[in-house]
Amino acid sequence: MDPQSTIVLGKAIGAGLAMIGAAGGGIGIGLSVGGAVQAMGRNPDHTPTIQTNMILGVAFAEAVAIYALVVSLIILFVLN
Amino acid sequence: MNSFWNGKRRYIALLLFLAGVFVALEVPPVIPFIQLPGENLPAGYNIPFTDMRITNTLVAAVIVWLLLLLFLVYIARRRPSDGSEVPPGGFYNMFEALFEGLMGFIGGIAGGPHFRLIFNMFMTIFLIVLLSNWMSLVPGIDTVGFIHAHTKEKFDPETQEYKVITTDGFEIYQGFLGISYVNGQCNWISPADEAAADDRAMAAALAARAAAEQDALVEAAYARYQAEHDDHGDEAPGETADDAHADDDHATEPVETDEAAAAYDEVLAARSAEKQARRDRGCYTGVAVSSWEDGYEPAEKDAKKAPIPLHPDPSSDDAKRVPWVVLPLVRVASTDLNMTLTLALIAVVMVQVVGVRALGISYFTKFFNFSTLFKSPLGGIDVAVGLLELIGDFAKVLSFSFRLLGAMFAGAILLFVMSFLVPILPWPFFILEFFVGAIQALVFALLTAIFMQLATISHHHDDEHDHAEAH
Repeated sequence: MDPQSTIVLGKAIGAGLAMIGAAGGGIGIGLSVGGAVQAMGRNPDHTPTIQTNMILGVAFAEAVAIYALVVSLIILFVLN
Repeated sequence: MNSFWNGKRRYIALLLFLAGVFVALEVPPVIPFIQLPGENLPAGYNIPFTDMRITNTLVAAVIVWLLLLLFLVYIARRRPSDGSEVPPGGFYNMFEALFEGLMGFIGGIAGGPHFRLIFNMFMTIFLIVLLSNWMSLVPGIDTVGFIHAHTKEKFDPETQEYKVITTDGFEIYQGFLGISYVNGQCNWISPADEAAADDRAMAAALAARAAAEQDALVEAAYARYQAEHDDHGDEAPGETADDAHADDDHATEPVETDEAAAAYDEVLAARSAEKQARRDRGCYTGVAVSSWEDGYEPAEKDAKKAPIPLHPDPSSDDAKRVPWVVLPLVRVASTDLNMTLTLALIAVVMVQVVGVRALGISYFTKFFNFSTLFKSPLGGIDVAVGLLELIGDFAKVLSFSFRLLGAMFAGAILLFVMSFLVPILPWPFFILEFFVGAIQALVFALLTAIFMQLATISHHHDDEHDHAEAH
């Protein structure tokens, strides 16, 4: 295999492996939204507060996935 | 103006849709070109009177600042100054509602003596990030720009660095994680090109010397010929044969005339002056010690892999092999790490400033907590916790900047890809980006506010109180 193809192969595999980290963000978002929906079902009066906090928590959980995404983007587009 | 948008003009949307269909069918798709660092605008778009290059993300950032300034002037002019209750309306009313909502929101989180300072920082960061995020939704941004030949990155064996070459051949130095800076003075010259230029200069010098020597030879021969014809007009043929032989001897032995040496020196001096001028401008001057290594061997590869010239003539065969890409005139500012890192540094530094304002110099005991080291058996833990807080503040910079960069850059790529995959209907993704931009701006600003609020609390004292009460 010529070196250029090897580099492309390595970049693709590395970027794919880096995106495994997004699974953690998915789990986190699922847990926090599930909890928030339960809480909203129990006391709907507090929906605005719960929703705000839920979106914040989702954004934090998403941040972890975004770190993985950034790593894989760097592997794909910055490394050469 | 208002009646124009009053819901009777929905056919505009239909026309846009049909235009999208037409464009999707008629225009051949191009491969979206994705680059993490901000691209440099071509030479000639420098900052006036300097050689500093402008990136297209900087253009977007300047547009954001100008828009914010206009926005500020507008809001200040619309604001009823004398307390007269002019019923507000339109954009001003919307902004007032947003402002009051956010004020109440932050008041719930960081209400207290430092509310004004915290809210000012919150609102500033929120508006800047929101505007620059939402710029990715504006048509023409990220898409309208200069079409140029895409040239690839080069590995420089001397400095062991990768170099990106812009279309017009200027070097971009790539530092850590795509933070780029440009040496606007230097055209990139690869070590192989440099060596070739050296070879050419040496060949030119040799040719100049040979030409000078030839001139001298011809001159001498002519002089001899003149002398012979003047003096010995009636010579025997044998003697002329001898003379010709003597001329041949002259031709083979090198004639070191002053003119030849001067011509040789002149060419080489011009070349070394050129190299010195490059070096004086701070340019990298490659000298080929070994062959140019970028995984490319012209002898083994087919013609497709031959290097593409930096300025291919559009009508030439070279141009057909060039991947032509668009260098957008304006690219969303928050897809550049320089922008997000700057905002993150400002936010984290302002957190420290708020902390010092609230607690004075004792704020830093949060980081260097040696007070309990010898008093309590677990005092060492406090020191370690303080150092962890210190590291955590540096981690905040990274997490702030990468969260925004990642979300917005991924959003930009999503919009690129979807616009090329589904050219007719990429709108749902624009709606998604609308919300992502708003949420990321809110998260960035809200985290700043929360960290500021945490910095104003002297939890050291609270801990002692808690311990005292617990005991």
